[in-house]
Amino acid sequence: MKFRIDRDALADAVAWTARTLPVRPPVPVLAGMHIEASDRLKLSAFDYEVSAQVSTDIDVEEPGTALVSGRLLAEISRSLPPHPVEVTTDGAKVMLRCGSAKFTLLTMPVEDYPTLPEMPPAAGAVGSDEFAAAVAQVAIAAGKDDTIPMLTGVRVEIEGETVTLASTDRYRLAVRELHWKPERPDFSAVALVPAKTLADTAKSLTAGAEVSIALGGAGGTGEGMIGFEGGGRRTTSRLLDGDFVKYRSLLPSEYAGLAEIQTAPFIEAVKRVSLVAERNTPVRLSFSQGEVVLEAGTGDEAQAVEALEATLEGEDIDIAFNPAFLLDGLSAIGSDVARLSFTTATKPAVLTGKPPQDGENPHYRYLIMPVRLSG
Amino acid sequence: MSVWDDLVGQGPVVAQLSAAAQMSGAGGRPAHAWLFTGPPGAGRVTAARAFAAALQCLETPRGCGHCASCHQVLQGTHADVEVVRPQGLSYGVKEARGLVLRASSAPTGSRWHIVLFEEADRATEGAANALLKSIEEPPARTIWLLCTPSPEDLLVTIRSRCRPAMLQTPPADAIADMLVLREGVDPETAAVAARAAQGHIDRARRLATDPQVRRTRDEVMGLPRRLTGVSPAVMAAETLVKAAEAEQKARTSELDEAETSALRKALGESEKGRMPRGTAGALKELEERQKSRAKRIMRDSLDRTLLDLASYYRDVLALQLGAGGELVNVDLAPELRTAAGAGRPEETLRRLDAIMKCRERIAANVHPQLAFEELNLALRTG
Repeated sequence: MKFRIDRDALADAVAWTARTLPVRPPVPVLAGMHIEASDRLKLSAFDYEVSAQVSTDIDVEEPGTALVSGRLLAEISRSLPPHPVEVTTDGAKVMLRCGSAKFTLLTMPVEDYPTLPEMPPAAGAVGSDEFAAAVAQVAIAAGKDDTIPMLTGVRVEIEGETVTLASTDRYRLAVRELHWKPERPDFSAVALVPAKTLADTAKSLTAGAEVSIALGGAGGTGEGMIGFEGGGRRTTSRLLDGDFVKYRSLLPSEYAGLAEIQTAPFIEAVKRVSLVAERNTPVRLSFSQGEVVLEAGTGDEAQAVEALEATLEGEDIDIAFNPAFLLDGLSAIGSDVARLSFTTATKPAVLTGKPPQDGENPHYRYLIMPVRLSG
Repeated sequence: MSVWDDLVGQGPVVAQLSAAAQMSGAGGRPAHAWLFTGPPGAGRVTAARAFAAALQCLETPRGCGHCASCHQVLQGTHADVEVVRPQGLSYGVKEARGLVLRASSAPTGSRWHIVLFEEADRATEGAANALLKSIEEPPARTIWLLCTPSPEDLLVTIRSRCRPAMLQTPPADAIADMLVLREGVDPETAAVAARAAQGHIDRARRLATDPQVRRTRDEVMGLPRRLTGVSPAVMAAETLVKAAEAEQKARTSELDEAETSALRKALGESEKGRMPRGTAGALKELEERQKSRAKRIMRDSLDRTLLDLASYYRDVLALQLGAGGELVNVDLAPELRTAAGAGRPEETLRRLDAIMKCRERIAANVHPQLAFEELNLALRTG
């Protein structure tokens, strides 16, 4: 194997692929990065759950494959001087020359490396920036511990031109709808994708203008897999099994009250007030006409109070939330004005951005469970 | 070359498994759970791995042994063949639940998602119950391969859900042939080693190829004639424990070094032996696993010592009763005859019982030195 490549192209490709290297490889070869030089350079990493492969242009002299330690290659390529890089194999070693710097890497048996899963058939495409933003908005609500594996996933529902993403950890629920271009207009599918993988992938595929999403059907190639491709990078992931929560019925259809607050000052105020809130204690919000009063802390401990301007339609209401969950929602709505809709102080409230025109449905809804106030 | 080459003297099982693999190649669905049983060393895990490779093989007939898929399965890196190897003395319910979850996913690229559970007998009752549902009714493309010494080692509920693949004790001749062909051992040494190993292929290989292992065994087999009184008996106990320890050390250091250096290389060790940041955790984890395995190998090697000792008295008993049949320790024939003439079968049986009792004690975590002292006092002739 012998090829030349631009220094930055190599560093980018290696850094992106290295994200998928397992921290604790179940078998040593999985800590390796698979290098394949044919008419293009293909770098792959695989941890049995997620696979990543990037292809870039190279100037190839002699095609070939090699398997080298992924971490070491990532560290080296990050710190290379700004010169073209030449990679050659020499027996059981890979030599990397860049300007006057020269590295020798040991290789591992390339035939031991597992075959990468095939990409499922393409289902459609979506704008990469919008997709990354949408996934980030939803993934915050996914469960972090795997006592209930289903909750660590993001539910992806595709119905024609609409994609709905949803996730919940039992205390909050985030739902986002977006438009996409399906391969077939009547395409419909559901999948449960590990939230962390989805968030990392969506964020890292913004290099291209579009991300194409590939979903395997039952029994066909790539059953139980989802694939993403954009800008020469492709990732596949195993899907989670199990039925997702019937979340649509959780979103209340009517509200007794509706409050609107400027988002930025609201976030600041919640952060300030929650300084005195001990772990797992709530921030209390008292809405009245023209004002909301934020309070935290109880009688025997430090307390904090702050008042903000707010508009309220409906009866005055006292409602309390876990400040961390509230902040997650506020920073995800992506709007200058936050709108909080509620029924009673013990029923879930819905946080949305203020739609540009009244009566329009918000794309993003963040449902949050209030903390019951004692006494 | 085929994936079945590593199995010695297992004609019927190979035929059964190979037929199932061909059937799967022709579009059929093999049984969803298989139970590989057979005496220690007969090659249960080898058979299960070969079967997994044959099921995933890309060539026709299935089980070529050289396609990419076969190679990956045999190397243990295939993405759709998960090998479960309990590292500690038991396999708990928490690990079992995680396994059930992983087993439920569809294969990434091949036909089947195979879970190969080595030493399934180490699963605790709770763990076995957690696995039951998945073994009974696995997802459409998941296949379980369980390995235990005998079917009785598993809960009856699991056993009854599995198709049995019963390996027999490989005949000594077959093992000796394998040693001559594969390891290049001279026929005479091969024959003695094959017989002494009593059907344990790996043991036979080590006896035939490693002089140190042979010396240790000779030391153990020289023991009975030295047990002439209380004092030599107690002294001999120490020799036995030391012999077992030496064997354990040799085996663990061999395994550990290879593993550690492979992992260090994979994680990116530099030529001067410096490791990149963030890799200490993975290495530490490996070290923990090795420590726990060392404990197990120690117990296995004590048991091995006891079985060797038992084979001595088995031969003596066979001679005393005039049972005929082949001796295990052909190399000690004259001594065995003298011992047989000097005692009565009842005494020999009592000694064999003492050895079996000692095995139970070792399994129940009794201090080896004390257990062996008691054993030797029961074995002594003085």
